[in-house]
Amino acid sequence: MGLSESDPVETRAAVTTGTAVELTTDAGPSRRHFLAAAAAGLVLGARELPAQNTGRRARRKTAAPVAGVAASLSAVATPPDSQLAIWRDPVARLVRRITLGITRDELERAKKLGYAKYLDEQLTPSTLDDRAVSATIATRYPTLRMSPDELYAVSQGTVMTELQEGTLYRAAFSRRQLNERMVEFWSDHFNVDRNQVYYLKTVDDRDVIRKHAMGKFPALLKASAHSAAMMEYLDQTSSRRGNINENYAREIMELHSVGVDGGYTQQDVNELARVLTGWTVSGRGIFTYDAPLHDFGPKSVMGRTIPATAQRTGLAGKAEADAVIDSLALHPKTAQYVASKLTKFLLQYDPTDAMVQAVAAEFTRTKGDIPAMLRLILSESNLMVAPAKYKRPYHFAVSMVRAMGPAVTSMSLVRTLLDNMGQSLFAWETPDGYPDTMEFWSGLVLARWNAAGTLVAQTGAAFNFDVTSFVGTTAEAGAQLIVDRLLGGEAPVSYVTRLADFLRPSPTSTARVREAVSLALSSAQFQWY
Amino acid sequence: MSEHQHDSGCDEYNALSRRAFVGAAAGVAVVAAFPAWLPKVVLAQNAASRDIIVSVFLRGGADGLSMVYPFTDANYYTGRPTIAIPRPDSSLANRGVALNGEFGISNAMSALVPAFQAGNLLVVHGAGLVNTTRSHFDAQRFIEVGKAADPNLVTGWLGRHLATSTPVRSNAPLRALGLSQGLQRTLVGAPKTLPIPNPAGFGLGGSATSRDERSAWLRSDYATVDTSIGTPALDALNTLSLLNSINFTSYAPGGGAVYPNSGFGRGMRSAAALIKADIGIEAIQIDAGGWDTHSAQAPLTGSMSRTMTDLAQSLAAFHADTLTGGVSYKITVVVLSEFGRNVRENGSQGTDHGRGSCMFVMGPGIAGGRVLTNNWVPLARENLEAGQDLRVTIDHRDILSEIVSRRLGNTNVGVIFPGYVPTVRGVTL
Repeated sequence: MGLSESDPVETRAAVTTGTAVELTTDAGPSRRHFLAAAAAGLVLGARELPAQNTGRRARRKTAAPVAGVAASLSAVATPPDSQLAIWRDPVARLVRRITLGITRDELERAKKLGYAKYLDEQLTPSTLDDRAVSATIATRYPTLRMSPDELYAVSQGTVMTELQEGTLYRAAFSRRQLNERMVEFWSDHFNVDRNQVYYLKTVDDRDVIRKHAMGKFPALLKASAHSAAMMEYLDQTSSRRGNINENYAREIMELHSVGVDGGYTQQDVNELARVLTGWTVSGRGIFTYDAPLHDFGPKSVMGRTIPATAQRTGLAGKAEADAVIDSLALHPKTAQYVASKLTKFLLQYDPTDAMVQAVAAEFTRTKGDIPAMLRLILSESNLMVAPAKYKRPYHFAVSMVRAMGPAVTSMSLVRTLLDNMGQSLFAWETPDGYPDTMEFWSGLVLARWNAAGTLVAQTGAAFNFDVTSFVGTTAEAGAQLIVDRLLGGEAPVSYVTRLADFLRPSPTSTARVREAVSLALSSAQFQWY
Repeated sequence: MSEHQHDSGCDEYNALSRRAFVGAAAGVAVVAAFPAWLPKVVLAQNAASRDIIVSVFLRGGADGLSMVYPFTDANYYTGRPTIAIPRPDSSLANRGVALNGEFGISNAMSALVPAFQAGNLLVVHGAGLVNTTRSHFDAQRFIEVGKAADPNLVTGWLGRHLATSTPVRSNAPLRALGLSQGLQRTLVGAPKTLPIPNPAGFGLGGSATSRDERSAWLRSDYATVDTSIGTPALDALNTLSLLNSINFTSYAPGGGAVYPNSGFGRGMRSAAALIKADIGIEAIQIDAGGWDTHSAQAPLTGSMSRTMTDLAQSLAAFHADTLTGGVSYKITVVVLSEFGRNVRENGSQGTDHGRGSCMFVMGPGIAGGRVLTNNWVPLARENLEAGQDLRVTIDHRDILSEIVSRRLGNTNVGVIFPGYVPTVRGVTL
């Protein structure tokens, strides 16, 4: 992991020069030193950030040692704090965090509104007029609005393509950017592999994920439990009295609510599977409670007793699972688990316990109100000390499109490039969703660089990247334009210089500028958010 | 061994490696990145006594009792009325093949019988995690990091093996790879290691005239940033010319091997090509999915039958290609899954999450041709864990640590499997 390297990295304290930042003095240890210190038994997180106006520092969790293993061998490098010194503007930092990529217009608007108002706006997506993008999507991706019966009659290839491309289009062009980030989050939390359920995923995406992405968690959990896609995916449809299939019962606890450390046992999994018997799907993706399949015997789930019942008709048997799901939805362990995942997704890979507890308390106080939790996580004081996160391929792909601002009539190419980068939409096979760790994604750089190179070269009607607005009169001006458009104007001076150096042989050649944009998109700076 | 002997002995090897490298080295453009060490180190190949390891993870919890099954045990048949593999002496078309007097291998996996009979394939049954989790994700993590329930252990067992052993080739730009879109946990922490989903497609696109310039720009960009993303980016740049010099598409397997044209089959074919290219790769991690057989398991003709066939044919092709295909490198292949499945089938002709499963270990240095068990007992309910599962009687770390110490020449077992004192099971020769 290069932890034995002792060369100091560039520095921390920043002096602004224009819109760029030069790193000049060595005011703190680098990440490498950080880990070296950990290896030497020193405490992590002890340093204070220089030149920050916030009163506190998000302390990294101290990695406890693993007996017999040097810290350098048991841990992995975590993201650099160096971006903290480069990203000085709180509003730009907020835009980076809650959108799928900075655009010139978005940043301008956010700066005009200010941190609090911009965040408010994004937390209440219904106040943002999105009719233009919705109209385009309705025309271009008609299957997204179809009923299950209609979807069944369409080629499944078309259905799956429209789901992915419609998602990419909305992510790139919707004004409701935080909503799109939450759709991304919940699509992993309630992962359903489209290759196992086909059109049912289109329905799940619309009626479960998108409908509740910025609503209340209990409603989301309940909607997912009634989703034909989820029931097929996790075999609930093949579970019945006397012959249970425990797959969904396990995952609704392990992955959707209380988490793997939520205090349930294998016995609880079996019992919940019995409680859920009768929950199934009929026709084309219609949730059905089938009483003859239900186990009416006495059951007990996580200490909650469900007596045997003689009432075998109507929805009495279904109500048993409804009640268990209601209690799972607001369980204190669910508050913890959801709070922890949300904080990791939006703020930092290794949030402090205190942060997670605060968000969990907000979950409990508001009965799982998603925007309320997001507001707490995304406070300016939190964001100003949160280390950068690494864009997953989906985030990276959409952020490229947003930064480039192309005229687009098809997202087909973006979809293909995303496949190459390893995050084909809605195609993660197992129910845990795509990982959100740096070590998983950071190795596949060539696919990213090639995706950037392919996109900047596009001049056709399907995806037309008009490079002229990136062309400066000089190499320096061109480099600054690229930094402004792609990085919100914040990058080390040395970075701008290197971009200018690349442009210098022919700074006004559009071919050269396209390559420079591709390099900037490929550069380390553009991989963070 | 001289270069001449190489040339006369192994045609596909020559086509792949040194000729292509020498050709590449002669080109001016790639000289800067070209590893000048290569032709010399090739000659020292046989000096390296360590095996190359190919580690296969069957994601989803593979039902070991559908792969290698105790055909003399009536409990197996009563617990699985619709999905049991017929006895080897049955007249049914889907009957398995006897490996010994007690265990048979399913018909779908019969491609592995020659490797078993050659003494190169060891089956370990009742293997798995001592920790009783039935969560896929915890169990996979515990196996991959080499220790259960320790949130502070983030790196993988194979990653720590590589981090604590000197490279076989001191200048190798790439010591290990995951044939995967993302780096598997098993390899996390390994130096000079990348996820490479398709080695044949490893290259930097765009205009050929500016390629070196762009590559140099990216090199300088990533050289100045944090190692967390800088290291893999530089490793990728350093590996470019090396992998580009290998012609994967025209790779001709040896030993009459025919790889299935599946994701896993193509992966194993790439693994063989990479190993034969002799570029200093020491470890390859590859995954096979589709093992979470909660319903319609169909190990005889349907879904799991296909999954097992793909696995077995790919491994058998790799065996033929690398062992009997005239290659002198020693390779150990280890195949495992996060857990096995319930002994009794469920209501949907599938099986739910269980405990013990079987592992496969294959290679010329493996004491194969046996089914290794530890106090195997009939699968009667009273003998099962929680009344439902094959007990874990062999900790998977016993197998892996013996491979690490005896085949990979790494004595740091305490670092690779922290806090564990392995029991020697006699896996290796």
